[in-house]
Amino acid sequence: MSEYLSVLIFAVTGAAIVLFTFFISKLIRPHNPYPEKGVTYECAEDAIGDSWIRFNPRFYIFALIFVIFDVEVIFLFPWAVAFGELGLFALVEMVIFILILFFGLFYAWKKGVLKWV
Amino acid sequence: MEFQLPEINLQLMAPEIFLFLWALAVMAFDVTTKRKSSSTAGNLALVGLAVTGVIMVFTDQGRGFGNMFFNDSMAVFFKVIFLAAAFMAIGSSFGLTHTRILNHRGEYFGLILLSTVGMMFLASSSELISLYIGLELTTIPLFVLAAFFKDDRKSVEAGIKYLVVGAFSSALLLYGLSFIYGLTGTTDIAQIRSILAHSAVAGFNPAYQESTPIMVMAVLAILGGIGFKLALPPFHQWVPDVYEGAPTPITAFLSVGSKAAGLVAFAKIMIMGLYDLYDPSKAPNDWGILVGVMAAAAMIVGNVLAIRQTNIKRMLAYSSIAHAGYVMVGMLALNSLGLASVGYYMFAYLFTNMGAFAIVALIEDRTGSCEIASYAGLSKTSPFLAISMTIFLLSLTGIPPLAGFFGKFYVFAAAIKMAETGSGLTWIYWLVGVGLVTSVFALYYYANVMRTMYFVETDSPLKVTMSPMAVAVIVIGVVGVVVFGLNPQPIVQFASDMPAALGALLP
Amino acid sequence: MNLDTVIFIVSAVVAVFGATMMIAQRNPVASVLYLILSLVAQAVCYVQLSALFLGAILVVVYAGAIMVLFLFVIMLLNLRGSEDLGQPPKALSRFTKYTIGILMTLELVFIIKGAPLKAMATGLIGKAPDGFGSVEQVARLMFTDYLYPFELTGVLLLIAVVGAVVVAKSRKPGDPEETQTEETAGTNTNEAGS
Repeated sequence: MSEYLSVLIFAVTGAAIVLFTFFISKLIRPHNPYPEKGVTYECAEDAIGDSWIRFNPRFYIFALIFVIFDVEVIFLFPWAVAFGELGLFALVEMVIFILILFFGLFYAWKKGVLKWV
Repeated sequence: MEFQLPEINLQLMAPEIFLFLWALAVMAFDVTTKRKSSSTAGNLALVGLAVTGVIMVFTDQGRGFGNMFFNDSMAVFFKVIFLAAAFMAIGSSFGLTHTRILNHRGEYFGLILLSTVGMMFLASSSELISLYIGLELTTIPLFVLAAFFKDDRKSVEAGIKYLVVGAFSSALLLYGLSFIYGLTGTTDIAQIRSILAHSAVAGFNPAYQESTPIMVMAVLAILGGIGFKLALPPFHQWVPDVYEGAPTPITAFLSVGSKAAGLVAFAKIMIMGLYDLYDPSKAPNDWGILVGVMAAAAMIVGNVLAIRQTNIKRMLAYSSIAHAGYVMVGMLALNSLGLASVGYYMFAYLFTNMGAFAIVALIEDRTGSCEIASYAGLSKTSPFLAISMTIFLLSLTGIPPLAGFFGKFYVFAAAIKMAETGSGLTWIYWLVGVGLVTSVFALYYYANVMRTMYFVETDSPLKVTMSPMAVAVIVIGVVGVVVFGLNPQPIVQFASDMPAALGALLP
Repeated sequence: MNLDTVIFIVSAVVAVFGATMMIAQRNPVASVLYLILSLVAQAVCYVQLSALFLGAILVVVYAGAIMVLFLFVIMLLNLRGSEDLGQPPKALSRFTKYTIGILMTLELVFIIKGAPLKAMATGLIGKAPDGFGSVEQVARLMFTDYLYPFELTGVLLLIAVVGAVVVAKSRKPGDPEETQTEETAGTNTNEAGS
């Protein structure tokens, strides 16, 4: 029960900080709305078209490769937690694992998919 | 230190590790060197496969990684099939890498090798998780390979279809396996079997008897998952499209290598693990009849639908469905002959089908067409190809004294032997009957191709220039089909060690 | 009913709600957002079932990385928010869909109603031991007993990298591979059976 209490306190504190900030800024800021303020902010330029554009497929490759290395990191996480207990042997295993995946990085690099221009 | 390391025995895994590193080397070579001929990567891959074969000869049998890696006689037998299938697939790919696959050649060959590595790991795994990962290692490269012609709509469609079907079937299989794990509390296949056997015989374990619906669902999900991989009806619809769209050597590899991998998975899970659910005297969940129905449907659907095909790749796709049905008949015969007959069948099918697809690939390279009609007049312009094709087709039909005939013979013999010994197995006779009747249909559509090659006159007969490697593959196929047909004993001997590998479980 | 049960039930309800809304949406982006909601709620369920590591993976990999991928694909396909996802499905596919759905539901009912609870009573499936599902426990299993599948997973991920690059890499004129093919073009004997 007590661990839930700490979670609850965290959640409440977190929400309270956000609400409090909004409240403070509402007190302090000047209130002067005009139409230009409601326009989409795009680096001080007028926005052209809408945000539904076709992405460059390259984003997709990056995301795909990111997912794969994300999974690798997921495997690193328990290894790091239990490393003290598992010792040298686990280190060797993990080095092999990372070397296997490192080849993937080397390959993608050589293939030029990580180059943007 | 409270944990214990499993016994590793890394040397047992030497062939797999070598082939894996070699596949990486092939790809690394391809991305790092700038100018090279179109066949360098392919030649490297062939060398790697040959060396792996040599290493395998010197690798002992045994188990490593605790009990997770078995290099037993069944694994060795199937590894030989996988390596040979990859060898022949790569050998018949040189025309393609010359004309159509201009980018990513290293990856093309590297992925074939990696898929082979996956099959080898699969054949050696004796535990559900590594078995599943082995299956994924097998199929994921094949998704990419099926879609290798990126500007060809059919190839891309094949890749996507195969990906979706493959992912779905893997999920289904995993779902079923998770039930098995939940019911038995272990992923080790041998332990699963002993747990199930124990509780089924004595009947004192309420968990087993009352969890029957879950067991049924587990078996259904597993059969669905593997049924997709083996293309047994009603899970076969993807086959014609994928086989037609994929590059021809990949189609050949799919039809032999990937099918053999599916058979290994089936043997490991269903026969090694869930054997006791098949025995009609023991358990209520008899998966035997279910598989029997699927096999019968495969033989009927495959052979009947193949008749109407005009595209030879689609025809061979349907015929591969039918052949999966014949193999499953042998798989259902759980006696000393059963698994050996499956092994022999796959060996015969390896030479026959890889050879036939090598010819299809050769002709497709030259004409760009896979229509049966375009084979007209082949006997005049290229009698070698016509005769080889005839031999392969006769072997697929099952005409003695070719290897395909003995494959069917052993499979049916094993099934009948099983039916005689077991009680309540009369349905196996029906299954064999279906097999014999549908073989006649098979004769019809295979004969149609031969008729086109020999008797159909055409104004513009094919002119085929042959690359030496493709000829080598075809010759290997012909020699294999004829020699192992005339003298099947060595393979049967080799294959007959396999039932022992599954443990002393067979009557 | 203690607090654990309440949290579990609430997050389970949210997960089912998210999943239902996901398939009910016609707008793909809204679907993805509902899926994320459902995944996060499922992660809470996993944590409640003392599978901490699985819960973490679900959030990091699925709700994080894979959903980003989904969004990219949606943007890549350039589906407008208002656009329909295609014509209504045919009768046969609808029939298959509902059949499979009903079968799965029945299966769930069997499982929830059926044996595992009884089996738990007989002691075959016991309560999870202390520390079960914790990161340390998972790590110990993964790096000792299940070391073989673990390394195989590395191979699998490597194949995924290669496959992703081969499938998704778009060719540009002037790529090194393009030029290398010139030399082979001369010896190319690709003649259509004349």
